[in-house]
Amino acid sequence: MTRVRLENVTKIYGSVVAADHITFEVESGELFTLLGPSGCGKTTTLRIIAGFEVPEEGKVYFDDEDVTFLKPYLRNTAMVFQNYALWPHMTVYDNVAYGLRIKRKQLGLTEEEIRKRVKWALELVKLEGLENRYPLQLSGGQQQRVALARALVVQPRVLLLDEPLSNLDAKLRIEMREEIKRLQKKLGITTIYVTHDQLEAMSISDRIAIMNKGKLLQYGPPREVYFRPNNLFVADFLGRSNILYGEFLGWDGEYAIVRIPELDMDIRGVATTKDLPRKVAIVVRPEIFRLAEQQPSPKENVMKGVIDLVMFLGDRIEIRLSVSKTDLIVYLPNTLYPTPGQELRIIAPKDNVIVLPAKWE
Amino acid sequence: MTHEQTTVKFRDIYIAGFVTALLYILLMDYIDPVTEALLWVIGIVWAFILFKRGIDYRKIMYSFSLSFLTIISFIYVFFILVLRLTGYPRAVALFFLPLLTLAVLGHIKEKILTYRETRKGIKVKVSLYKRVKTTLYKLDPIMWVFIVVGFAILIVFLIIPVLLMLYHAFEVPPGQPIWYNFWRIFNTRGYVKTTLYPTDRFYIIEQTATGRIIYIIKGINFGILLNSLINAAVVTITATFLGILVAFVLARYNFPGRTVFRILAMIPLFITPFVNAYVIKILFSENGPISIITETLFGWGIRIDSLAGVALAQIMAFYPIVYLNAYSSFINIDPSMEEQAENLGSKGAKLFFTVTLPLALPGIVAGSILVFIFSLEDLGAPIVFQESRLMSYQIYSSFTSETGIVSPEMAALGFVMLFLATMGFLAIRSYVGMRSYAMISRGGRWTLREHRLGWKGKLFVYLVMLPLIIFTAMPQIGVVLLAFNIMPPSGFAINLDKATPQYFLELFQNPDIFVYIRNTLTYALIAVGLATIIAIMIAYSVSRTKMRILTPTMDTLATIPLAIPGLVIALGYFYFYSTFFRGTPLDPTMGPTAFQAWIVLIIAYSIRKLPFVVRSVYAGFQQVHEALEEAALNLGASRSRVIFGVVLPFILTYILSGAIVGFIYISTEVSTSITIGGLRPDQAPMTFAMMMAYKGTTTYGVQIAAAMGVLLILFQLIAVMIITLVFKQRYAFIGV
Ligand SMILES: Nc1ncnc2c1ncn2[C@@H]1O[C@H](COP(=O)(O)OP(=O)(O)OP(=O)(O)O)[C@@H](O)[C@H]1O
Ligand SMILES: [Mg+2]
Repeated sequence: MTRVRLENVTKIYGSVVAADHITFEVESGELFTLLGPSGCGKTTTLRIIAGFEVPEEGKVYFDDEDVTFLKPYLRNTAMVFQNYALWPHMTVYDNVAYGLRIKRKQLGLTEEEIRKRVKWALELVKLEGLENRYPLQLSGGQQQRVALARALVVQPRVLLLDEPLSNLDAKLRIEMREEIKRLQKKLGITTIYVTHDQLEAMSISDRIAIMNKGKLLQYGPPREVYFRPNNLFVADFLGRSNILYGEFLGWDGEYAIVRIPELDMDIRGVATTKDLPRKVAIVVRPEIFRLAEQQPSPKENVMKGVIDLVMFLGDRIEIRLSVSKTDLIVYLPNTLYPTPGQELRIIAPKDNVIVLPAKWE
Repeated sequence: MTHEQTTVKFRDIYIAGFVTALLYILLMDYIDPVTEALLWVIGIVWAFILFKRGIDYRKIMYSFSLSFLTIISFIYVFFILVLRLTGYPRAVALFFLPLLTLAVLGHIKEKILTYRETRKGIKVKVSLYKRVKTTLYKLDPIMWVFIVVGFAILIVFLIIPVLLMLYHAFEVPPGQPIWYNFWRIFNTRGYVKTTLYPTDRFYIIEQTATGRIIYIIKGINFGILLNSLINAAVVTITATFLGILVAFVLARYNFPGRTVFRILAMIPLFITPFVNAYVIKILFSENGPISIITETLFGWGIRIDSLAGVALAQIMAFYPIVYLNAYSSFINIDPSMEEQAENLGSKGAKLFFTVTLPLALPGIVAGSILVFIFSLEDLGAPIVFQESRLMSYQIYSSFTSETGIVSPEMAALGFVMLFLATMGFLAIRSYVGMRSYAMISRGGRWTLREHRLGWKGKLFVYLVMLPLIIFTAMPQIGVVLLAFNIMPPSGFAINLDKATPQYFLELFQNPDIFVYIRNTLTYALIAVGLATIIAIMIAYSVSRTKMRILTPTMDTLATIPLAIPGLVIALGYFYFYSTFFRGTPLDPTMGPTAFQAWIVLIIAYSIRKLPFVVRSVYAGFQQVHEALEEAALNLGASRSRVIFGVVLPFILTYILSGAIVGFIYISTEVSTSITIGGLRPDQAPMTFAMMMAYKGTTTYGVQIAAAMGVLLILFQLIAVMIITLVFKQRYAFIGV
């Protein structure tokens, strides 16, 4: 199994810095996701790892081998392209067998062994029986599976997936992401996965790296980046949050006290850094609120507001709560019956309120 | 259908072919008709058994190379049978037999399946009456006019003349069977000659009076029909190979001077009738530059003549057609297709042959088939090399016969040529059509794949490709040199001191010569006007109606003139006007003073070059979304208001581009100009005068013809500039 390490990788297209000093390391057998909005440089980073692009600066290592300038056909990575890149002139079988046939001499494979391995790969992605079809005769989901089988069959050092699910419908997407996760764990291939869908990223990954405008902002396990974003962009991009600006007043033990003019109150929360600037922001996820009991302690973040809007979402209820000069997004359990106009007191637990420097990058 | 169930492998079909062919080869020397028939039956039955046992015949349809091979082998087997060739060529045909049988069976089965599907699909039965009624209801008067007039013109001026030619092809001497003319073409030694004599040598060595040794390469005569076929095949294959090579290097590699290469590679596309062949003849004559080089290097000269000369001239003139098609195919391949292969370990030649070439093939063969057709019908090279043993020359010379009557045998020959050209064209068109949706591409970025060349590549590019490209541009360069008298009309020399604009000026000053230029300009202008009007009607009807058989038929009819050899049009028009306009000034048999060739020529031009105009106008109509028109109609504007007031002005640049391209192809037209035009020399256009000059039957010299060639190049340059710089569109050189 292979570790992948990028060090200060920088790629410039004309005036666009597509990758800006990207550094990260992917453990062997890990599923690592690059997540970010469109145009942030995910594909570029992936293409540098595959060897299609050579970075202007920085190095790429597989284990301890420097592969920065190694030709793509020598890297033994397997990439699944966003558009699957299935060859329309080959059958499913020939598509999948291609990588093995190319390396047949090198690997010392017979046609029979190739057949076996193709069969294995097609079974893995549940496509047995479609060997003789041509890509044009397949549905989108099936095409996606062929692309996956074609990548897996060569038993690559690193599997690279560029938005593999973006062309599928919502339901299939959920199905396939489970399958990819299961397969990846079963085979233990080091995998780098690119997506702009934060839900997909969180559900599938061991670790997530969030990128914006060519920069890598933060990386870590889904839970960590979700609950401890170190940056407003990350907080905003992952899940939903209430972001409110304020002034850092001082410490109350381990909690930072922040004056939020819009709420017209002081809020306590956990800070991501010990030396907070004066201008800070707080991030409050809508699901962390709970209803306030009769006598809340004065040190709790209690907010009193009027329900403005109620949306029943099935698994939960989303409301807009007008507190002072602003509206908060709040999720409530679907067993409640909130109504517009109703007064509500809620608590944002201190441990779940994040205090950040008010910067977006 | 699962993989386990198909016990029959696809390769079994090749085994069947191989065994049948082998049997034939073993029995070749003793075979009698009955045994041979048996072999054919074996091949067919074998394929049928494999079909019944579930061989994957769909492969033929979906595999790029297989479907192509099948089409080619169809044509091959057809000719082997018609020409009754025996020996190894026939063994090859037997090899293909099972594959072809399978293709046919598969095709039939698929047809039945889809028919059943559609039957099942149509839940609601709508009577024919109602269908016709709703269709008619949707058509307003102006659409009616467009469709009816468009069809009428195509039928009267395209279908009927061709049918008339066919009718005359069956005119036989009394007492002969109805297929006599065709029988003669396929059985007379003059047409098909399969035995070789000691005198049939590809080249001969000659010693001149001064003791020089000259290799004269002539090619071998297999009879008129086979000569044409072999010539066309050789030209097509070589041009395809060259075109792919040049296109691939220019499309995929970056090296200093690439832009210059690209421009140079376009030069042969400038049409200079007759001159190109003439310059090649000079280049490869015993006094030409090539001979000078070989003389100093090896001590002998070289001359390329006759059939070989024709082939060479055509290769040089036509390879850019493949080059252009191949180039855009390579450029249009989704880069991820190749990157994926590279990612899986493929590179170099393997990558090229497994991924790049198969994906580009449809575009490439679309160019190749045009080369095939152009080679078949080309008159320039055969006339300059005085090679009469080709179909095109034969048909042409029947127009110049004393009697003024074109013989039925020539009509039959014309039909054979038409058959070859249109069958090839339609086969390739459906092949390309089947494949064109093959590029599945959603999302993904489009970075062109370009590589730097290594030193080996650079050596190849500068030492092999550059000379090749310059070489193929020679004719166009040569015509300029000739026109300005830098190069003498015979022999070879470069005399910069003798340069003079005299011949160029003479074009405009000498009234006897200027008349040809005036003729060409007037005819081309009028013909282009006509063609544009017809094109608008047809393109509009095709793009705005979706009638079941009618719309596609109209589409095909408007494209097919591309595949109809000009000589066939000439023959057809000869019969058409001498039949329906007998005794009027439009009757070609009226003689060189009464016959009004100009009218016939103008009509012939506008029909022949219609596809170029239609294509551009059609592209324009596709730019205007139908919904826009419907919105205007909805607001109460009439259809004619919408078309003439909204749509046409909007797509004016497309119409003008189409008209300009049409103008170019009309002013350089050869086949009808020198046949129909030749019947009334004083009304003939420039190309006729150019031919006469090269034949040496005029008072003025070759330089005048060359000056005309330069004038034509000038037209084309201006056209390219207007279209690309002013209208910002692609100059549609040639394509299916
Ligand atoms: N070949 C190229 N030439 C010029 N600019 C490029 C090229 N490839 C990428 N870029 C630019 O680099 C930036 C990053 O592109 P990249 O494809 O890596 O984004 P991405 O994160 O994959 O986006 P998406 O989610 O839309 O696929 C973009 O601004 C893009 O326009
Ligand atoms: Mg991308």
